[in-house]
Amino acid sequence: MSVLSIGLLYGASTLAVMFAGMPIAFALGAVATLFMIFFMPGGSVDTISQNVYEEMASITLLSIPLFILKGSAIGRSRAGQDLYSAIHVWMHRIPGGLGIANVFACALFAAMAGSSPATCSAIGAAGIPEMRKRGYSPGFASGIIAAGGTLGILLPPSITMILYAVAAEQSLGRLFLAAIWPALLLVTLFAAYAAWRYRREYRHAKALHLSGGARSELLTENTLSLREKLQLLPRVVPFVVLLTGVMVALYGGYATPSETAGLGAVLALALIAGIYSVWKPADLAPILTATLRESTMLMLIIGMSLLYSYVMSYLHISQSAAQAIVELELSRWVLLAAILLMVVVLGFFLPPVSIILMTAPIILPPLRSAGFDLIWFGVVMTIVMEMGLIHPPVGLNLFVIKNIAPDIPLSDVIWGVMPFVVLMLVAIVLLCVFPGIATWFSDAIMGA
Amino acid sequence: MVHGLDFIETEPAAAAAPSGAADRILAGINAIVVKLSSAALVAASFVLTYSVIVRYFLKISTDWQDELSVFLIVGAVFMSAAAIQAGRGHVAIEAITGLLPPRLNMIRQLAVDAASFVFCAYFAWKSWLLLLEAWEEGFHSGSTWGPPLWIPYSLMTVGMFLLSLQILLQVVHGLRGWDRIR
Repeated sequence: MSVLSIGLLYGASTLAVMFAGMPIAFALGAVATLFMIFFMPGGSVDTISQNVYEEMASITLLSIPLFILKGSAIGRSRAGQDLYSAIHVWMHRIPGGLGIANVFACALFAAMAGSSPATCSAIGAAGIPEMRKRGYSPGFASGIIAAGGTLGILLPPSITMILYAVAAEQSLGRLFLAAIWPALLLVTLFAAYAAWRYRREYRHAKALHLSGGARSELLTENTLSLREKLQLLPRVVPFVVLLTGVMVALYGGYATPSETAGLGAVLALALIAGIYSVWKPADLAPILTATLRESTMLMLIIGMSLLYSYVMSYLHISQSAAQAIVELELSRWVLLAAILLMVVVLGFFLPPVSIILMTAPIILPPLRSAGFDLIWFGVVMTIVMEMGLIHPPVGLNLFVIKNIAPDIPLSDVIWGVMPFVVLMLVAIVLLCVFPGIATWFSDAIMGA
Repeated sequence: MVHGLDFIETEPAAAAAPSGAADRILAGINAIVVKLSSAALVAASFVLTYSVIVRYFLKISTDWQDELSVFLIVGAVFMSAAAIQAGRGHVAIEAITGLLPPRLNMIRQLAVDAASFVFCAYFAWKSWLLLLEAWEEGFHSGSTWGPPLWIPYSLMTVGMFLLSLQILLQVVHGLRGWDRIR
């Protein structure tokens, strides 16, 4: 059989078993094993468990459960609400300040917890009711939270980034740094939009009130005393210290990425014990069980995805596919657009982990030969996956919002997030025109 | 529908209430394994934190910490795979499954479970052979610390064996449910 037919068969059988509803990890493992039996030299299949073990036993990959533990500890405590309240009381006087405060709270929380849905539910649980109480339209309020939550997969320590670094054989430290400015760019765009949209809704409400209509809460001024502003700080400062401390440990050269994960988890557990008195085994059990559930599910998918790409590479499927793409001699921007479109479509069905590990061997060589920087591409691809978290049909964050504010119709939520999808596209275009947004910071800190 | 990286907020379906003796025994084992695996994850965090401290403050070179953490985490992942499967926590694409009529969906679930069982049991068997080889030949990891590899291999083997058993029970339940419907 030619490589092309084996490749097509490989792809088709993977799609078939996955759509039949077989768990992704077992589906990838089973297809890879069958192809080892039928198409690889006898005896290859004897080493499957050793292959999976050796691929998984990488300390970089295994930092993922520890980052999840850190996120879960923070995500399941009251830290989100406190962080939100603290930022809110300091910013509420700025026009549109409440919306901007929500964007900032999402970004900070995402950087601490490293999880998009956890950010949405932690900040949204306090932020959405508050924004609606102050007269923000429900769609606008949910858009801010859904979009702000996606920053969790872009800001360090993002799990998506860890996998990309492993799959693309790029420096994880450099990739984390490269994501920071694009994330700040997104935060700025989101905040600017929130301020603009607020002014529009405010003018609209004012005109309505002057013409004899109902008075919207948007027109009500509220003030808080300095005492109220200072009261919340002691609860929030430790978490910000944790966030910066962990980053300093990583970039100051004190700790490797995996040690940073361990340190972050220990500090997060210590903080929730100290501040929220969460330390008894019964309190910790839900945090640990949730961590274990997510880690085991993810790590098995990762292990089997790596076995899957090993077989794909042994049978020359990935190399031939990459070669075929190079030989199409597409212009570099067409190539980039086509690959990003594929990521979007795959995102309808697969979690980012599998997309990255399964497609990296095929898409990265053509991108490299077209002259794209793979660190830069990692950032762009992650923003595309962020869009996948909020655009229909399956954006996960839409459903998290639906969960915390069930009375907002899904159509309102979807229309509310659309402007943010456009802003992410704007960010991608800006990154294409000025790739330095991503690369200058990592180059400045770690050398070109 | 699977979409994000983090499924932490999506609670799994509650595990079917254990009915037979086999279910009860496995549920009991899973409950213990989950506790031990949770402890292993926390222990790994402390080992890595310890590693930063001794290297930075005491200037002692670190050799065994990374590898011990790998063993702890790999062990936790494989050992708890069965407990996660009990709550159907291994995500799958559900785009089509919702569209099928209930009877057809039941057959589909049975077929998928049976296929998952065959794969996991095969993997468990290959892990067992690897474990035997590592034990007999005395395989050690190539690091300076050089711990014996039968330790992580045995965790992988036992974990995959428990997972296969868990899926087999789910197949048996599926067959019984099918009988009742007919």
